Amino acid sequence: MLPLLADGNSGNLFWELLVNGLVMGSLFALIALGYSLVYGIIELVNFAHGDLFMLGAAMTYTLTALAVSWFGVVTPGGMSFAIVLGLLLIVPFFCGGVNVVIDRVVYRPLRQSPRLVPLVSALGVSFVLVNIGQLWIGTAPVSLENKAQLVSDASLTQIGEVPIKWKDAVVLITVVPVMIGLTWLVKFTRMGKAMRATAQNLVAAQLMGIGVQRVIASTFFIGGYLAGLAAVVYTLKIGRIEYQMGFQNGLYAFTAAIVGGIGNIPGAVLGGLLLGFIYSFGGGYSQGNWVDALIFGVLIVLLIFRPTGLLGSRTREKV
Amino acid sequence: MTLPSRSAIAGGVLFALLAVLPQLPLADWAIPANLLTELLILSILALGLNVILGTTGLLHLGIAAFYGIGCCIAGILTTSIFPFQTNFLVAMMVSAFGTALVGLILGAPVLRLRGDYLALVTLGFGQIVITVLLEFENITGGKKTLQGLFPPLLPFVSEGTLGRRGEWQSFPHFYYLCLGLLAIVYLGLGNLERSRLGRGLVAVREDELAAGAMGLNPARLKLSALAIGAGVAGLAGSLFAMHNTNTTEPQNSFNFNWSIIILAAIILGGLSSRAGVLWGVVLLMGFDKIVSRIIDDSLQAAAADGNAAFRLSNYRLMIFGLVLIVMMRFRPNGLLPERRGTSK
Amino acid sequence: MRFRWFHILLVFPFAIPFSAGCSGCNKREANTIVIVSSLPRTGSAKGQTDTMVNGIKMAIDEYDGKVGDFKILFQDKDDAEASSGQWTAAAETANANAAVNDKDVMVYIGPYNSGAAAVSMPILNKAGIAMISPAATATGLTKKNADNKDEPDIYRPSGKLNFTRVVPTDDLQGPIAARFIAEELKKKRVYVLNDNERYGEGIAKEFEAGARKLGLTVLGNEKINVAQQEFGSLMTKIKNSEGGPPDAIYFGGTTQSKGGQVAKDMIKSMPNCVLLVPDGCYEKAFIDSAGAGLEGRVFVTFGGQDPTRLTGAGKTFVEKYKEKYKTDPEAYAVYGYEAAKVALAAIKKVNKKDRDAIREAILGTKNFSEGAIGTWSFDENGDTTAQIFTISEIKNGNFVPVKELNGLKPSAP
Repeated sequence: MLPLLADGNSGNLFWELLVNGLVMGSLFALIALGYSLVYGIIELVNFAHGDLFMLGAAMTYTLTALAVSWFGVVTPGGMSFAIVLGLLLIVPFFCGGVNVVIDRVVYRPLRQSPRLVPLVSALGVSFVLVNIGQLWIGTAPVSLENKAQLVSDASLTQIGEVPIKWKDAVVLITVVPVMIGLTWLVKFTRMGKAMRATAQNLVAAQLMGIGVQRVIASTFFIGGYLAGLAAVVYTLKIGRIEYQMGFQNGLYAFTAAIVGGIGNIPGAVLGGLLLGFIYSFGGGYSQGNWVDALIFGVLIVLLIFRPTGLLGSRTREKV
Repeated sequence: MTLPSRSAIAGGVLFALLAVLPQLPLADWAIPANLLTELLILSILALGLNVILGTTGLLHLGIAAFYGIGCCIAGILTTSIFPFQTNFLVAMMVSAFGTALVGLILGAPVLRLRGDYLALVTLGFGQIVITVLLEFENITGGKKTLQGLFPPLLPFVSEGTLGRRGEWQSFPHFYYLCLGLLAIVYLGLGNLERSRLGRGLVAVREDELAAGAMGLNPARLKLSALAIGAGVAGLAGSLFAMHNTNTTEPQNSFNFNWSIIILAAIILGGLSSRAGVLWGVVLLMGFDKIVSRIIDDSLQAAAADGNAAFRLSNYRLMIFGLVLIVMMRFRPNGLLPERRGTSK
Repeated sequence: MRFRWFHILLVFPFAIPFSAGCSGCNKREANTIVIVSSLPRTGSAKGQTDTMVNGIKMAIDEYDGKVGDFKILFQDKDDAEASSGQWTAAAETANANAAVNDKDVMVYIGPYNSGAAAVSMPILNKAGIAMISPAATATGLTKKNADNKDEPDIYRPSGKLNFTRVVPTDDLQGPIAARFIAEELKKKRVYVLNDNERYGEGIAKEFEAGARKLGLTVLGNEKINVAQQEFGSLMTKIKNSEGGPPDAIYFGGTTQSKGGQVAKDMIKSMPNCVLLVPDGCYEKAFIDSAGAGLEGRVFVTFGGQDPTRLTGAGKTFVEKYKEKYKTDPEAYAVYGYEAAKVALAAIKKVNKKDRDAIREAILGTKNFSEGAIGTWSFDENGDTTAQIFTISEIKNGNFVPVKELNGLKPSAP
């Protein structure tokens, strides 16, 4: 009933859990960025974001199945590398596109509505996406590895006693350039400047001649793109998808965004990593359900006592 | 003499329909009778959420957790595993008040929060409640449920017609019991709306700052709303436990999805209007549980069975989601919105 | 204007039942007996339960759908919901209540999961409807046991028995896995996991008790969080147990409670460890969800015979099944068939539409040989005297029996 502490071989356990936490944390960070970006710009908690991630995973599976039907059996090697690259190119665009469409159809007509209206709509979108996932994937989970072994299970290298698997490396190798690219985009491009301006004050940005609807659409696209990336590397690492996977992962990532300060990009990354560590160490040192309670407890405590998160945010309470 | 308002007519018509329903030849229409009772129980739950969301304007995304707490309290009090083994009346009251107490405790930290942060905290609380119900399974039954709940209906009434164990839990006796309780809750909440407390809640919903400036205490009012809403939800939970004769699994019956489904029902029917809430539940849950089942069965009999695309129940979540999206887009005040400024 | 649209919307839901009912397609003949099955028809168990329902239908077809004066109507009900991917208490309760309210229902075949049985047994017991489960194996459903002093009386509020099953109980199946680890695999150290449900937790406890008796070292008995998508951290923890990783892991659970994912994560994390799972994982869906590398690493126990090993009437059943449905039956298909045969034989014997009489007839089944698994009887608890167990490994995506054990040996068919 109560969390137990693992005994024995603690040194090795710690480092392995650390690596695991780093990897899961990177995944959470990618998804958290989507939440943060959208909230920063239109102050909407996009409940449907986690389910978009799930659809990305479904697309990953379908595309892999398609590739296998064209090319035959795939084992780790040249062909699988090409397929992985293809997935990393196509799926994020798919998710980004879907996100833009959802914004255009559901949220854009509600720009002038009181805040709770788009929030409730986002809940509705979440349900619709989950249902699409249920029809797409089915009610039983599916395993990517039954279709193709795209990334080998072997260890890439070893730091001391702790193995770093290929699958973990794929996650880390993908995440780092993405973070750099995103930071560059937001800091040094015109679109990034427009995004920051719109996030600060939408009306003023409009007055300055910024096409805010396009900026918002771009933000949704980027958020979706990141979710799609996360979906591909998640599916490669974990190998198993089910239509319910968006809810839990989404909530964890959302907590990460809050922890880091919602609307804040480095905050989302920090929050993601922190949450990855909580997830990994919690799973390693305690039993089952308490990890969930812990993460939601963190969410609640933060929302009540420090809603601006660890790195603060730019939104202000308007009277 | 003033004519009854539109919502009073709507409410009256609905109650009349519900009272007549068991007398119709349901078995011929292949409507399982126990589904009707579930409509009534969900109506009571929706009325509870309405106090919090419709009347007071607090977006609460964890109402199903209170439903679950009420269910578990009733289960603990009536199961033969524990020494309490009370009758249903006592179990129902303790569930309602106990859940109200929990609502009070969980409500205290959220009073300073606005709109979406409040929603997220209630979401988090809902998930934590599920975890607690699952982990403390020696008390709550957890995933394995507490089953065999067949208490007597009233105290001091031993095995007579009403007291006969389990008999009153069958259709149509239990249905009419639930209908009666629904009527009591409905009228009681109507009194609440017309009272000083009720007007205070509406004031908090409309403009919390102005209400405070007028001398009301928004924190206390919000706490009252949360406690009352939780209490009504707990009452519904105890009925749910009796209806199922077991407490069912927390993670399936009291999860976030259910909170949103009830939300969809009251948004469909009309926030803040009690009659609207009832119609929303009847329409949405009636469609989901009864009509879609009938359509599925006749589709199965007629055409390809096993083909997922033809089963209406596979589109359930999409329908709920679309209800939310469409209502928010076109009629955020619902089908039967509250009429402000006219006599009710 | 709004009022009119609103009116139409209100009438709509009430119009549907009228149209469905008045078409007459729901009218039943007077002398119909309904047999209801309540199995998880949604989620990963569907593959297995499809074959079970087919088995039941085959049994009814052998009687041409008529027993004595009565027409037999079969209703295939689902006790699983899409949202959970497996059985839920609410769905099982609804099925039980529907069966109670329908005056023509005489026999309830099911459920598949012991947890579901715990939920519906009290309801059906009160109404006196006989239950024949083809797969629910938790000990406490029929027998007194040390873990829970309230079982099985809490499932029998009327004081009479109504629950029977055609497969043996977990107090026998659990220790068999322990014996296999100790004697065949010659391993010493085990870590036990369970899914916190009545069946999984129960059989994990039985396994642990059996393992301790045989002198195996049990490093822990822990429940997993079934909602989790992967168990990497858990496997890391197990790998770093005191004294090194275990030789074997026992998972008390089903495919639906993430048995496949446990297998997958274990294989990734601990190359030298084997996994033992009970009959809740004896289905193709488990093999699919567990991925690659299962050869020689995963063993599954089963309270019955693998379809490839059935002889006599059992072999005939398998052949007829393949001919009719063009696919192989899964492990529990023949037990669905057996349950239906028991029910139909009892109805034939009683020849009355009387729940109590049929219940008594089913409970009194002795030396039953009309089925496909040999000759067996129900004992005074409602358990079967047939006690064959199979332990299988997985080769080329199929179950291959490696050991068959006979408790009370049923005589040859």
